Amino acid sequence: MENEQEIIDLVVARLQNLPSDKEISIGSSGEFTKEKLIEHVKEADEIGKKMIDIEMEFLRSLKEGVFYE
Amino acid sequence: MSKIILVTLPSSDRTTRYISTWAQLAIHNLKSKNFKLITLEKERAVKIVFESMVHKHAPTFIFLNGHGGSDLVCGQNNEILIQEGKNELILKGTISYALSCSSAKVLGPSAITAGATSYIGYKEDFIFFISSEKRTKPQEDKTAEMFLAPANQIVVSLVKGHTVAEAIDMTKKYFLKSIRRFVSSEASSEEREYMRYLLWDMRNLVYHGNPASKI
Repeated sequence: MENEQEIIDLVVARLQNLPSDKEISIGSSGEFTKEKLIEHVKEADEIGKKMIDIEMEFLRSLKEGVFYE
Repeated sequence: MSKIILVTLPSSDRTTRYISTWAQLAIHNLKSKNFKLITLEKERAVKIVFESMVHKHAPTFIFLNGHGGSDLVCGQNNEILIQEGKNELILKGTISYALSCSSAKVLGPSAITAGATSYIGYKEDFIFFISSEKRTKPQEDKTAEMFLAPANQIVVSLVKGHTVAEAIDMTKKYFLKSIRRFVSSEASSEEREYMRYLLWDMRNLVYHGNPASKI
């Protein structure tokens, strides 16, 4: 559980860096501001889990070096 | 004889307005090529008109813009245009590209089983960013362009005569080029935040069916 909370904290910290004047469109789920996204991540609901998946995949890709090939 | 391209362009919320606006920009140049373009905009992007147009014109390529789910793609006001187990047969003999969420997961393979030549789409949600101040002028939104211009590269590549596999490869390279630009020191901190979402879209873009097919 501690690990799960650490991941949520990490994703929330990343999302804090998003610009405030932008919204993210996630298909039929709608558009979300940074603040709304953070709420979803903290609640670990479907949208929040999606954000966690995106961050985890990004971190794996960094490790794989995909950006520097 | 001109080949037929059928494009659905719903516009019933901000997301569909954005993807349809950028799809229109992408297809604008197609008019000069050897293709006849049929667009189903707004209220015409509904099932009855879509099915009628496919039966009447037998398009070679269908470009679907709209909301979706793993087993379906929608048109105007989220009306379902194609759904697995119901009418995927309508894609028989066509190459399709769905700029839509998740439909490559279930609908794509099902369309191929039903006789579609190729189905290109996303196996997860297609994600993009919108600038709040540009919400009424999607075509001027440079942030959205970072996502929607690469996504529409599929159409550009196919129309230029490339195969489905080549079009996928070119599109992924377009995404990757943007991502790598953001790795550089010239990128702003804001731009770097978009990398993970571009990567997500790039990774979830897939095709089913014949990789060597062309429109």
